[in-house]
Amino acid sequence: MPGTPLGGFGRYAGPATLILSSLADGPKHGYALTKDIEQFAGLRLAPGTLYEALSRLEGQGLIEALESQDRRRPYQLTAAGAAALRAHLADQQRVAQVGLGRLARTWGAT
Amino acid sequence: MGRDVTSPAVERTAARLLRWYPAGWRTRYGEEFTELLLAEYAERPRSWRRTANVIGSGLLARLSGLGLTGFGLSAADQARASLATLGGAAAAFLIFGLAMLAQLAIGWQWTMPHDPATTSGLALMAAGTVLLFLLTALAAVPVAWGTAAALLGRGTGGGPRGRMAGPVGFVLAGGTALVAGAHHFQNSWPGTGGTAVHRGLVPAGAAAFSWASTLSVSSYWAHPAALRAFPAPELAWMALSPLALLSLVGGTVAIVRRQRPSARLLAYQARLAAAAALAMACFLAGAGCWVFGQGSGRAGLFHAGVVDVAGLAVMTVALVAAAWAAVGARRGALALAGRG
Repeated sequence: MPGTPLGGFGRYAGPATLILSSLADGPKHGYALTKDIEQFAGLRLAPGTLYEALSRLEGQGLIEALESQDRRRPYQLTAAGAAALRAHLADQQRVAQVGLGRLARTWGAT
Repeated sequence: MGRDVTSPAVERTAARLLRWYPAGWRTRYGEEFTELLLAEYAERPRSWRRTANVIGSGLLARLSGLGLTGFGLSAADQARASLATLGGAAAAFLIFGLAMLAQLAIGWQWTMPHDPATTSGLALMAAGTVLLFLLTALAAVPVAWGTAAALLGRGTGGGPRGRMAGPVGFVLAGGTALVAGAHHFQNSWPGTGGTAVHRGLVPAGAAAFSWASTLSVSSYWAHPAALRAFPAPELAWMALSPLALLSLVGGTVAIVRRQRPSARLLAYQARLAAAAALAMACFLAGAGCWVFGQGSGRAGLFHAGVVDVAGLAVMTVALVAAAWAAVGARRGALALAGRG
């Protein structure tokens, strides 16, 4: 959805949403992000995809890098990132509600 | 969480994978990315999908440096890098295109082409060339102004004087060598003295200069025996003129990359970039008409050879790169203007 806050990320909108959601409860470095996303979303972001999305998010000012710890650099959500994530998830929620409502009306509740 | 012990072999593999990324990216992300790779290897030693993913991302990051993807670039950097790439692609396109056009102009000096494919092809190529030079002039004026301002230490449009001096030196050296050399060698232009000069689409002087400045684009390189019959100064010019072209184009690309134009100027240049891609498409359509129409004319004057097919391939690649860069420039300019 081009008009949504992460619409400009194109095919990285999915990884960007997962990364922002993972950072919503605090800073994490690359490997911690991979494991956390695998746990809550059930998919594993490949290293190249993860860092493509991280560099885009950092370039857009939605996340920021913290001081490096033992060669690992944690990232944290910025205020702009939190606002973008909230708006994006609200959009997604509206879509999900519409889809679930229509499914329930046509196919019945499961 | 992550790795405990890694073998030197794994470290070497990670370092090898990191080399797929450009130097700037490695400086910024290299250390932490290597740590992530080592942790991944500790958990899953082998994965061809992971290797392919890292290589693909590395290549994308390299394209980003050319402004061909938005990966990790600010809007202004994206627009500038895209415009510089478009400039380089358009120059490569013109070098091969002018060599082709000069060849056709030579034929036309002696006889009119009688097949519509060659006639319409030449008309499209001539129109594309005029349009490209016009657009180049329109784009060059603000670039030259910003560069002069930077060199004279005025304004902020061109950046520090020291960063511009080198590229400007390359442009002046390459441009001077090219103009002086081409002016000298155009006197031996094979089109001179033709009987159909007054009916030609391309003015003889311009055609002769184009021929001399692109003398290095020649099928004679594949025929060393024929090449040995050339006068030594002409052979030297064929071998050395690409250096002058490289200096001119490389210097121009560096200037565009180092300037700091306003959002408005970037938007103007992005519009010119889109028009340049269309002009290149017009030229390429004409060249395709001629090459695939295969009109030979009297004495094979309009015959398209292997070098022309190769030139067409190079020009197609250059057009794709230019169109891609034009899209990148527009995207960057729109984002900068707050409409992306």
